[in-house]
Amino acid sequence: MISFEANEEQTLIQQSVADFAKSTLAPRVRQFEADRVVAADVKAGAHEMGIGLMGLPEACGGQGLGLVTSVLVEEELGAADAAASFGLPGPGAFGRAVLELGTEEQARDWLADFAAEGGETRFGAVAWSESSPCRDRAGFVTTALRSDAGYVINGKKSFVTNAHSADRFLVFAQVEAEKGWGGIGAFLVKKSAPGVVVGARHDTLGLDAADFGEVSFDNVAVTEADRLLGGADFTKATLRFFAKQSLVVAARAVGVARFAFEIAREHCDTRKAFGKPIGHFQAVAFALADRHMDVESARWLVWKAAHAWDAKLPEKEALIATAQATAHALEASMRCADECVGLHGGSGFIRDLIAEKLMRDAKQLALCTPTAEQLDQVSAALDLGIALDPALVLPTPDVQAIFT
Amino acid sequence: MIDFTLSKKQKDVQDGIRSLGKYVIRPMSLSMDRNKEVPEQFLRNFMRLAKGFRSDDVVDPSEEGAAPRERDPNKPSETNRTSAIAAEELAWADAAMLLSVPGPGLGGPPIRATGTPEQKARFFGVFKDMDKGPLKWGAYALTEPGAGSDVAGIRTSCRKEGNEWVLNGRKCYITNGARASWNVVFATVDPSLGRAGHRAFVVEKGTPGFEIGKIEDKMGLRANETAELVFEDCRVPEENLLGGEAAYVSKEGFMTAMKTFDNTRPLVAAMAVGIGRAAYEYARDFVKDNYVLSRPVPRYAAIAERLARVGRRLEAARSLVYRATYMADAGIPNAKEASMSKAAAGQAATFACIEAIEICGAHGSLATEHALLEKWFRDIKVYDIFEGTGNIQRVVISKRLMTGLKAF
Repeated sequence: MISFEANEEQTLIQQSVADFAKSTLAPRVRQFEADRVVAADVKAGAHEMGIGLMGLPEACGGQGLGLVTSVLVEEELGAADAAASFGLPGPGAFGRAVLELGTEEQARDWLADFAAEGGETRFGAVAWSESSPCRDRAGFVTTALRSDAGYVINGKKSFVTNAHSADRFLVFAQVEAEKGWGGIGAFLVKKSAPGVVVGARHDTLGLDAADFGEVSFDNVAVTEADRLLGGADFTKATLRFFAKQSLVVAARAVGVARFAFEIAREHCDTRKAFGKPIGHFQAVAFALADRHMDVESARWLVWKAAHAWDAKLPEKEALIATAQATAHALEASMRCADECVGLHGGSGFIRDLIAEKLMRDAKQLALCTPTAEQLDQVSAALDLGIALDPALVLPTPDVQAIFT
Repeated sequence: MIDFTLSKKQKDVQDGIRSLGKYVIRPMSLSMDRNKEVPEQFLRNFMRLAKGFRSDDVVDPSEEGAAPRERDPNKPSETNRTSAIAAEELAWADAAMLLSVPGPGLGGPPIRATGTPEQKARFFGVFKDMDKGPLKWGAYALTEPGAGSDVAGIRTSCRKEGNEWVLNGRKCYITNGARASWNVVFATVDPSLGRAGHRAFVVEKGTPGFEIGKIEDKMGLRANETAELVFEDCRVPEENLLGGEAAYVSKEGFMTAMKTFDNTRPLVAAMAVGIGRAAYEYARDFVKDNYVLSRPVPRYAAIAERLARVGRRLEAARSLVYRATYMADAGIPNAKEASMSKAAAGQAATFACIEAIEICGAHGSLATEHALLEKWFRDIKVYDIFEGTGNIQRVVISKRLMTGLKAF
């Protein structure tokens, strides 16, 4: 039955994360921004609460909670500091990718220590994007060539979230050159492996506390056991990973949208011009009404998509719901943050207020998942019933590179 | 538990209406549009069928006063959600047909909310014998040539003379107004009193001084009747003052009659989503069947993106419909959410119809047999107008967002 009521456990978790976000993250947002990192005590606190471990299966030491719980939690984090939500410890995108593409054994081997002692300092990263497309064939420039012992990886990855904090990477590389985007593979690599060099950190528009950077692989040797095969269909499995990860980012975007709407509404309630609160002018109030619709509809679509995965609805249905939800949430949060700055007038442009940060973060968030355009290709291809072309439905660097 | 799957009952309702829509209603859709009429035999069959779809806790409008059917009190009601699902499917089939279904229509809610027991028995009793006798409708007459969104501006006058009220004025754009057995008509004792001066009457067909004016020639929803009502010294018995004199001591009586919109707006929104979905699916299938998707034409990606944008905007609107009806079922005040669903759905569905025609190219605008897209394009626009325009919905939402905002 259609219901918008979280269960008791979800409500409890949501409330405790909301409290943490309000009391611990929100007051220090600008500090994390200036330091370009989330403070160690905050990371430790988040780890203690198990925030990053909720989605990790119990077999890997996590709580094994579903995506619905994840999106409830991520919205609360996003509503306090979307940047910090990338900088809190845990398996994150790396964990989701390993779970989707790897075997249970690989998941245990590479994810269990996130829940173990010292987990508050552990990060993983997905090395997917490259700074320019491969000019002579479809696929990645980075290659993983077969060797006697397994594979040898060569190439440079860009736009890698947690590039500097991660102690392990999931690297995507071209295994079979002639197969284009159908010939890529995924490999688990420790940062300590010879030939792994973490490069420059990217200076970005927003999400300053998140760590985006480059990673190079120079003749890095990996064994066959550390290749993730993605089950029966590697493209589908990769698409599933990006879909689930995108929902988490979309939930953060809903948080940003909600926060931006709330402070804009409050400002319009109190700021007076021409003898009355500016929210009592139709042009202003109607803009807020539209943004309120954005926030709410984005949240419900994200919930619906998360529920589709948790309830194990047919994959096509879940993928379409996810693509629709994320594309809508990303655009809605951008509209809300943009409106928030605009309604504040000049003060919205000044860093004394948080509005300008929300606007930068909203745009940055929209690039930390397959873009709205890429997701629209996914939902259209699925609904039209045409074959999923990895070049169109995966966020390849051929068009619109993304942060992973 | 957070859940977006339909209950068994809802799935049955949806499947049942969907196949009725596909195999029975859709094939007659264009001829109904051209003949400006829904065949009586079909309406009779439909009403018989609809009884089977009804939720357990809905009272048959012709049996007002009867106790609701037995239902488990521990089971939460999902009537509003089920109605929204049914409304979407029916509008997907043919929206004008849905508006033409006999019964009290929009006139029902104000009588149910404000009417005296005697009035309820009388005016709902009218629909009792439709199985054997002629089909009957009720209607809701508020809009006037000079006052639509600004309800306080109505000028149809009423004055008490003896035990009768004398009405003078005009009402326009009244759905089923001419064929209605009775209209709930809003009038004022004194325009300077604003809402406090408003009175609502149930004016029966054939009342002296009540004439039907123009039957409108509309852009869309042509199979459904839209009428002008003319009152010239129309003498209405005092028993027909809705709720009796007592209801107008404060202005609450009138406000109750207006509150009916909180329940109907999400249903109108659901209908809009249904039409929008029809257009979306038409364009999607057209692209699948008529374009050479196997050839790498770069424009396909642009067409695909356009389709996807339509799809997700409709999905966003539907989520607001579900939210508003979920709140109604749970007994949570939902005026803001009802308006949000209506505002979003009216626009999303209009966008869907406009885009769908563009995606199909020239074919999309053809008014040939079984080519319904151009009809939906004509039908949809009014969904952003009736039951409160998009701007009026935003007034309702704004008042609930801003502190101390009474009016603009």
